[in-house]
Amino acid sequence: MKILIIEDEQGLREVIKESLEKEKYIIETANDYLSGMDKIGAYDYDCILIDIMLPNGSGLDLLQELKKLKKKEAVIIISAKDAVGDKVAGLDLGADDYLAKPFHLAELHARIKSAIRRKNHDGDTSVKWNNLKLSPEQRTVSINGNELMLNRKEFDLLYYFMINPNRLINKTSLAEAVWGDYIDQADNLDFVYSQIKNLRKKLKDARAEADIQAVYGMGYKMS
Amino acid sequence: MKLRNYTLRYLIIALLFVIALWAGLFYAVILEEVYDNIDDGLKNSKILIIREAYANEKVLEVREFGINQYKVAPLAKGKLYDFSDKFISTFEFMEYDDDNEPVRLLETVFNDKNGNPYKLTIRASMVEEDELLEDLLTALVALYIMLVVSIALINQIILRKAWKSFYEMLNGLKNFRLGTGNSFTARHSPIAEFKTLGVELEDLLKRNEAIYASQKHFIENASHELQTPLAISLNKLELFVEKNELSEEQMMEIGRVSDTLNRLVRLNKSLLMLSKIENRQYADEETVNFNQLTEQLVEDFQDLADYKNITLSIDTKQPLTFNMNKGLASTLVGNLLKNAIVHNHTGGKVNIIISPDSLIISNTGRETALDKDAIFRRFYRDITNEQSTGLGLSIVNSILVNYKLKADYSFNGLHTFTITFPVKES
Repeated sequence: MKILIIEDEQGLREVIKESLEKEKYIIETANDYLSGMDKIGAYDYDCILIDIMLPNGSGLDLLQELKKLKKKEAVIIISAKDAVGDKVAGLDLGADDYLAKPFHLAELHARIKSAIRRKNHDGDTSVKWNNLKLSPEQRTVSINGNELMLNRKEFDLLYYFMINPNRLINKTSLAEAVWGDYIDQADNLDFVYSQIKNLRKKLKDARAEADIQAVYGMGYKMS
Repeated sequence: MKLRNYTLRYLIIALLFVIALWAGLFYAVILEEVYDNIDDGLKNSKILIIREAYANEKVLEVREFGINQYKVAPLAKGKLYDFSDKFISTFEFMEYDDDNEPVRLLETVFNDKNGNPYKLTIRASMVEEDELLEDLLTALVALYIMLVVSIALINQIILRKAWKSFYEMLNGLKNFRLGTGNSFTARHSPIAEFKTLGVELEDLLKRNEAIYASQKHFIENASHELQTPLAISLNKLELFVEKNELSEEQMMEIGRVSDTLNRLVRLNKSLLMLSKIENRQYADEETVNFNQLTEQLVEDFQDLADYKNITLSIDTKQPLTFNMNKGLASTLVGNLLKNAIVHNHTGGKVNIIISPDSLIISNTGRETALDKDAIFRRFYRDITNEQSTGLGLSIVNSILVNYKLKADYSFNGLHTFTITFPVKES
């Protein structure tokens, strides 16, 4: 899987690159509009991350270019400008998703995976890990072929963990992804823990080869 | 006191003195003239009577006024008499109306053809002249009243006309609010001073508006610029922790840094949202079904509520719809609901009641009422909660202001927020 990151901020480009390389993606980067244009024209990717505000051009123009070239890449806009207008324009121009800075890396992984999955919907869309198999469309989970009953929140939690296996997931990121945008304003996220405890117990009872551990102070990790 | 009444008051008082003085002078002059006239008539009679006395001795025998308007009294011979005319105003009884009436008398001394001195008194009634003076006084009073009334009226009309543009400007200023988009335009005035005032006001407010706008945009731009460095710091920390070479204690420390950064992110997001609401960047509106929206949010918050053992009860039997931006609608209800849960005690209650013209969220919590005037202010927050941004209710308030809605807070054991929606005409 090849991913192109078009982002002018060096620091951000590097963390995204490092994080995605851990997921075994092949990463290429571009730091402005022109080099982004060169790469888009010359190579094919599975997914492209585009920042809207770039030196010497706009990410929206790159989207236009992709459309003109009839490219089929999954495109995710990452922008500091969480403006509704940009979001609508980007999605109209064929972007698959829109992620406002700052974002959690786990969230970025989830968005990339689901964007790529939607692009190649001819194949199997299920996510597998060890003896677990999760189908996002049917919202089912099976362990060694036996279905595991989970409620909505538990399912969403497990899905997030399975997209980011072996990765540390910040508890804020987890709460936002599962409970929605307003929950991050809650004074403490201890309630997340009680849900995870339930999920962990269900997984253990079903003999899943997966364990969710708390990482002190930061969040959780499934291994 | 209105300006026109203020000037009118002084005008009327001044006029009272001026007219009184003028009337006094006028009255004195006219009185003088009237007496002068009568006296001339009396002098004329004197000449006629004395001439007649020379021709006809009988004249000298008239001792009482009777039908004649004169009387003659003989004086002792050989004394020295004053032969000049003396005029006297006095009252005399008149049978005609059984009352004393004003008369004017001329007293003089004359010698007949034999050289005997006589005292002659000639009388002239002043009844008519007196009435004339009375009429004059009445006319003066009437004149004064008419003058005052007409001046008041004219003053009213002229002032109203002259100050019209001023009052329009005042009205414009009353309706003017910074940052609401209604700009102030001064109406054209024919009066130079008001024209200048209008132009200066327009200028001043335009400058204010510009400063206000740039201040708002500064907050927005600053928040935007903060996003990327925040993203980098947070993400770098996440990657750093993943390397797994840290002791538990070090992890905890980094966890705290990460929490603080997350708080900064929230604060930044809230500020950004606040300035976006104030800059009216949430333009697209639709009919929002608050029943659905609230039920959805209650579901989202259920786990948080369960964790604190809080009972959420919701009464959505009656429909409430309102035309607004959907994202803002859920922020509005979401923030209130979140507050109701977060600022609650374990085992507390949150009640939501939706009616066609209001949304009421009440909750248990602290035993004392909150400061009604301060809660909607930016960065007001409960001292016990350091994780809150202090912007939640400011955002609520900005949204309400944007849609001209009203929120009320009351405390009667429960902290109650009521949002009142306009009643729809059916």
